[in-house]
Amino acid sequence: MAKPELKTNQKTQVEDRSSLKGTLASVFLLGLFIIVSWVSVYYLFVDRF
Amino acid sequence: MINVTAAKIKVDPRDAKLSMAHFFVAFTALALGGLMGLLQTLVRSGKFELPFGIGYYQVLTVHGVLMGLVLTTFFIMGFQYAAVSRTAGTHSNAARRTGWIGFWLMTIGTLMSATMVLLNEATVLYTFYAPLQAHWIFYLGLTFVVIGSWIDGAAQIMTYAKWRKNNPGQPSPLLSFMAVINTVMWIVATLGVAATVLFQLLPWSLGLVETVDVLVSRTLFWYFGHPLVYFWLLPAYMCWYAIIPKIIGGKIFSDSLARLSFILFLLFSIPVGFHHQLTEPGIDPVWKFIQVILTFMVVIPSLMTAFSLFATFERYGRSKGATGLFGWLKVLPWNDARFIVPFIGMVSFIPAGAGGIINASNQMDQVVHNTIWVTGHFHLTAATSVVLTFFGISYWLVPHLTGRKLTKAMNKLGIIQAWVWFIGMAFMSGAMHFQGLLGGPRRSSFSTYGNSQQALEWIPYQIAQAVGGTILFLGIILVLIIFINLAFFAPKGEEEFPVGEAENLSEKAPMVFENWKLWLGITAALILFAYTVPFIDIIQNAPPGSKGFKTW
Repeated sequence: MAKPELKTNQKTQVEDRSSLKGTLASVFLLGLFIIVSWVSVYYLFVDRF
Repeated sequence: MINVTAAKIKVDPRDAKLSMAHFFVAFTALALGGLMGLLQTLVRSGKFELPFGIGYYQVLTVHGVLMGLVLTTFFIMGFQYAAVSRTAGTHSNAARRTGWIGFWLMTIGTLMSATMVLLNEATVLYTFYAPLQAHWIFYLGLTFVVIGSWIDGAAQIMTYAKWRKNNPGQPSPLLSFMAVINTVMWIVATLGVAATVLFQLLPWSLGLVETVDVLVSRTLFWYFGHPLVYFWLLPAYMCWYAIIPKIIGGKIFSDSLARLSFILFLLFSIPVGFHHQLTEPGIDPVWKFIQVILTFMVVIPSLMTAFSLFATFERYGRSKGATGLFGWLKVLPWNDARFIVPFIGMVSFIPAGAGGIINASNQMDQVVHNTIWVTGHFHLTAATSVVLTFFGISYWLVPHLTGRKLTKAMNKLGIIQAWVWFIGMAFMSGAMHFQGLLGGPRRSSFSTYGNSQQALEWIPYQIAQAVGGTILFLGIILVLIIFINLAFFAPKGEEEFPVGEAENLSEKAPMVFENWKLWLGITAALILFAYTVPFIDIIQNAPPGSKGFKTW
């Protein structure tokens, strides 16, 4: 009996329409890209000067 | 009531005429400037020499002046004039006359400067740094362009002021507010370039004074030069914030956030010019440090913009039933040139912005300063993010103004154009970035520098730039075909001027955003703080002035 109940529960979970988790992930990726670029050139500086 | 609404949905034909006049000058500049750009990349590949003894640096000057100063300023003024007319109401006859006077002054100034450049009397590159000395008519022409742009901008401010007077206690229409912020920033910024041209370069080129203080002129130039790049960018942001949401069928994420980010650009774009002068002696490092910190403040409104745009897209996608982390990407209107052309511009701003943070960091500037990395950088910011957005705007604005339709064929050609541009720029700007990291200099013609090993390593990148430049030139031809079609040949009809609505209409923008005394006061205070002490220092400890040089 327990198993079908679990399945039903999962099906009724509807994604919140006002969710901005994609936006959050996008800005994190953007921030990560900025940091990686910055650190790469910083290492070039440290290496050369 | 119906008439009032109808009048506001369509830009008045009298206003449309002035906007289109701006666009004709802008796209003519694009055609000539683009050809020069192609020639430059070909020369730099080492496989091609300019005919008739034409100099590389003359071609470089034409390219920089036409693309960086003429195309941008004319397009922006034409677009903002139309945007204010559309959202704050038709310009009054007085405002329109003011606009025409500004337009003609700018055009006359452009012709004066362009003539001197073409006569090889002003091969001073678009930054016209002293002690390179141009013919005085070149500087006088630039003065006309700047003063003309003030008068042109005054037309927008007049119509905005009229709207405010007729609607007391109401926040102004978003696009009008943004246009006025950009115009005000431009006026404050151009005071610097006007000062160096009027008080230093003109008297010096006329022979009234013998020498020029180079550091003062460069400092005044960069007081103007950095906000100049934001003057290019903010009209693109106007499209991203306030027009794209309507095109995709969504809503503006937050009207107040958009206004706040524009105010932050007004405050932080100007007191930051020293980050272009980090390697220059004669400026106290403490003040360089302070201006670098102020430069990094601009990251805040830039990231606010990124967040807001992602949120607009995600909200719209989810309203269409998209699920998952990135499902909303799939439902965006990928077949609509009005969306995808500026969208490619937005995506390009991610590496462009990251590169900008690198340029402004003191240590990293030592790696990239005066290398072709910097050229690659502003070909991503200005020549991709900004101009692709301008192209995207013109694909609906030109037919809107000329009473025509963006046809399916032109829509498709617009999308092809944007991809051609993106591919060409990936080659050209990408190669410029890598060559710059290997030390390749900017502002220089082809040379193997006595067959030095390091210079020989740059050549493959220069060939990649020529490939990219050629693809980009094809992109320019496509833009011109579309522009001419939409201006003269497309079928008659109604093309929408899309203006987005905020998601939450009950959220009224705080009236403090329209308090110009406050924002102009803070702008002035920041400028005085960042520039007064170092400027006094620069003048008091100045080396002997320099006489003029003509290196061409």
